Amino acid sequence: MPKKNAKAEMVLKEASPAYGVSADGDIDLSLLRDNLAKTPWERMQANDDALNFAESLRTAMKKHHAKP
Amino acid sequence: MQNLSELTRRLISSRVEFVLVGGFAAAAHGVTLVTLDVDICCRFSEANLMRIQKAFADLHPVHRSRPDLPLELTPEQCASLKNLYLKTDLGIVDCLGEVLGVGNFEAVLKHSVEVELPYGKCRILGLDALIHAKVAMNRDHDRITVKYLKEIKKQQSQN
Repeated sequence: MPKKNAKAEMVLKEASPAYGVSADGDIDLSLLRDNLAKTPWERMQANDDALNFAESLRTAMKKHHAKP
Repeated sequence: MQNLSELTRRLISSRVEFVLVGGFAAAAHGVTLVTLDVDICCRFSEANLMRIQKAFADLHPVHRSRPDLPLELTPEQCASLKNLYLKTDLGIVDCLGEVLGVGNFEAVLKHSVEVELPYGKCRILGLDALIHAKVAMNRDHDRITVKYLKEIKKQQSQN
């Protein structure tokens, strides 16, 4: 994403009433609140989805770098 | 393909006495960090270990430190085991006899909560005990997880 667009997105995000970070700025509270609205089972499945998506990205990057 | 949820389902369906601990327990509580394995604290009785073996029998389970050794537990091995580190076709499962900062299986069980999953009830280490465990482990990612867990506790107390 171009730097200018990324900055604009950040400004929009911060303007949203749902956005917030923890006192030390390490935790995106809106993401956390969304996650807490899910059931434990949904959260466990989301972990699996993220794991497999990351794995598919790693595989794609390996293929990309292997190209002559 | 990793499927930590399926590994957990198999443990429940096979009636293994266990409590979900570690990163996957943190994920179940709401932490948005991704974990690579299932950590459980379980009773290290022969019967229970045999249930674990049966639960993963068709997933080519091997000892993580010796991948050339398939999981073929004997009563003698069961009597001497303190922990069991497994690798299966669906992911890694670490079976622990005790949890640092909490204690042995009985202590972990006492500090666990029961949650309803689509295929049955699952015991998960409670929020406070999980914070104790992660503080005791004190690795970089544990310290980040503790921040999330404390924030979740704060959010829950506000609701």
